[in-house]
Amino acid sequence: MKPFTFALRQEPPQRVDLSPLTPDRLAGKSIAQIEEIEIGVTRISTKVGDLFKISEGDLKNVRFEGGSTRFDLVGAKLLPGFAIHVEGDVGAQCGRLAKGGTITVAGSAGPHAASGNLGADIEIKGDAGDFLAGPLAGELAGMAGGRIIVRGKAGERAGDRLRRGILIIEGDAGEDFGARVIAGTIFCLGEARGRIGYLNKRGSIVLARGGCFGSTYVDCGAHELNFARLFARRLRNHSAQAAEVLSRRLRRYGGDTAVYGKGEILTPD
Amino acid sequence: MGTATLDGKAIALDEAYRHAAKILNRAAFPLIAGLGADIAGARAAVLLAERLKGVFDHLASRETLADIDVKRSFAMFTTTANEARIRSDCVVLIGPGLTRAWPGMLERLALDQPPRRGAQAQQPRKVIWVGPEGDEASAVPGAKAIPASAQELSGVLAAWRARFGGRPVALDPEKVSLIDGLVETLRAARFGVFVWSASTLDPLAIEMMQGLVIDLNATTRFTGVHIGARSGASGVTQAAGWMTGFPPRTGFGRGYPEHDPWRFEASRLVDSGEADAALWISAFDGEKPAWSRADLPLVTLAPAHAAASQGLFIEVGQPGVTHDSVLMSQETGGMTLRKASAPTDAPSVAQTIDSIMAEVSEGAWR
Repeated sequence: MKPFTFALRQEPPQRVDLSPLTPDRLAGKSIAQIEEIEIGVTRISTKVGDLFKISEGDLKNVRFEGGSTRFDLVGAKLLPGFAIHVEGDVGAQCGRLAKGGTITVAGSAGPHAASGNLGADIEIKGDAGDFLAGPLAGELAGMAGGRIIVRGKAGERAGDRLRRGILIIEGDAGEDFGARVIAGTIFCLGEARGRIGYLNKRGSIVLARGGCFGSTYVDCGAHELNFARLFARRLRNHSAQAAEVLSRRLRRYGGDTAVYGKGEILTPD
Repeated sequence: MGTATLDGKAIALDEAYRHAAKILNRAAFPLIAGLGADIAGARAAVLLAERLKGVFDHLASRETLADIDVKRSFAMFTTTANEARIRSDCVVLIGPGLTRAWPGMLERLALDQPPRRGAQAQQPRKVIWVGPEGDEASAVPGAKAIPASAQELSGVLAAWRARFGGRPVALDPEKVSLIDGLVETLRAARFGVFVWSASTLDPLAIEMMQGLVIDLNATTRFTGVHIGARSGASGVTQAAGWMTGFPPRTGFGRGYPEHDPWRFEASRLVDSGEADAALWISAFDGEKPAWSRADLPLVTLAPAHAAASQGLFIEVGQPGVTHDSVLMSQETGGMTLRKASAPTDAPSVAQTIDSIMAEVSEGAWR
């Protein structure tokens, strides 16, 4: 059955809040009712019908034909069993507090993608902005479950305060990659610039190409880690590159010793 | 009375207020930025933003939010400068340019004198300055200067915290013993204080330093004195806080305050085209906006010497100079009245915004 489709008519005149357009919140509404949903965030009104041409379909799969860097909160609070696909870019906070389901973005994502993610499987084919999987201002923890894969680059502070879950950046990572990580696993398969893993409590940071992590990471030698191999096998279908890095002999750096020193940075030996 | 100009040509004040209201009223998402004002000016600006369903940001909000981010997502020990002056027996100054950020710092903290209260009274005060700029540290007799570039500060603080906890660092033994000696000094303090400015310390480094303060407080007393940002940032943040519950970078687009440090950053709003008119306020020194778009409909409130040649310019007085002002004081850590040092009849930011607001009616958009 074909997906429930929102075809973009024109570039939005302002940022739009697309959090009402998830399957569970659309269920039981007629097309006319959906077209009347207010998605503008300023004093001018922008309604779903102003931006999108809607074609009815299987509500379990929502598809946006065309995206924009002004599409905020795509797939926010998404529930398990549902899927959202965006054929284009998305703005800030894509997949925010998603409980499950899958979100795929063919273009790039703005800041705070996967922020507070609790269990969704998110894939961004282009680049991601700053604070990937990070907490919003004032929140104590970032992503707490699920998986996010970015095929391109990520901005600054990717993985900030990650609590649980898997974060894979196949391209380069911006400044302060893996800062304040509480737990969970993050990968950077390209270059990671600047401080890495600053204030990392007990997270695992995997760097395909090494990097600089200052004096509070202590060399613990090279290891053949059985758990890493097992983990690699699980990742093979999602990111072959990440799986390949993880199945090599890995050098382990323990840190950030400024906090507990229970975290680690792993790089191929 | 003050003067007003439109694209460099003088116009009457009444006409200027009407024109300003028209520019802001016509916009879909007007921006109140700069916000270099006293408490009354900040109050008026936030009220105007609310009435216009616009957004407000302060020109130094990056610095203010660096401190606030640590405070709201981690923890922060702070005290007033006076408390540090009378009690501290160990003062650690962090980063370059502190005396530039706060010209009265050395006089207020009286670092060359011993503390006067507590068991540490009359004991010599230990002063350590990490990463001072040039010979800045020589202004404090007996201060121990530890050279470090601004980029190295976060690493230095991390190494201190690791050694304080007895955990290993990847440095040669000589350096480790130097750090251990310094950490012992901190541990032995009866009342220690870190002094920093967010203009040279990023949020992660501040969090590291405050984490060390927490660690130190298990056995002694340690706290911090943070130096507020320029153009009345601390006072504006307080006023925004009690009016909306949020610091600057708060918008009223949907009729209620929403805070988002990314979405409501002034330069991003202008350069992305999301904000389509702006009121720029810089009453202290006439600092110019940092955005790059020149075609934005703009109303500027600044002192006469900073007259804008483009758009609408309305002269305002300088808080505490041309008119009496309530400002957040770095010296006391509270609100104080500053008497005008050179009074003139130039209107204040609050008076000017009130006059503009009289021409703006709620819900009268377009």
